[in-house]
Amino acid sequence: MSIMRTNYLLPHKYKTIGWILFVLGLISGIILFIGDYEIDILQVKVLSIFNEESLFGEKPGFFKIIKNSIVDELIALTIIIGGLLVGFTKEKVEDEFIYRLRTDSLVWALLFNCFVLILTILFVYNFTFLHVMIFNMFTPLVFFIIRFNFLKFKSDSHEE
Amino acid sequence: MKNRIKVERAIHDMTQADLAEKIGVSRQSINAIEKAKYVPSAVLALKIARFFEKPVESIFFLEESE
Repeated sequence: MSIMRTNYLLPHKYKTIGWILFVLGLISGIILFIGDYEIDILQVKVLSIFNEESLFGEKPGFFKIIKNSIVDELIALTIIIGGLLVGFTKEKVEDEFIYRLRTDSLVWALLFNCFVLILTILFVYNFTFLHVMIFNMFTPLVFFIIRFNFLKFKSDSHEE
Repeated sequence: MKNRIKVERAIHDMTQADLAEKIGVSRQSINAIEKAKYVPSAVLALKIARFFEKPVESIFFLEESE
């Protein structure tokens, strides 16, 4: 409908590539997590805005070129860009109800994420909490996508 | 807000998908509006009424409490 304010949505054609990136990113992210992030391939010189003193003998400082495996960075970007494409491309038929489902899902995802975060702050400690923080980089987007697609599926089911 | 879209669809022998296509909205929208789970915008309500060639008040009604 012409009255819809959907100016932040990308065309529908990007949704497929979004799903591919999102799923690939999540799968490789889980593999990386299971392997305890121990990957040394793709060592590349990168610009670090601020670097703390590391275990590998690097001195702390601003704007330094350091060597770093960019596997985890690539995976994180794949998940986030893929997730954004999935969540913020138009549906095949985009209308006011779908728009409502999307915004409702965003609110739900933020609240649910905060709820889970509160629980983990209270009940997860030490190094394990670092894993929580890493997951928490992606969970708002993941919860949003799951919720949005669940609501769409639910309101599509069985006529009459 | 209640509505009689389902009745109107039956009169015109249309499925939800048919009506959605004619109005230019998703099937989910028609489904949700019919079940009174979603209150359409004034624009959409007017479009539905125009399609059935009836005044909007004969398709959408306020409930007692509204």
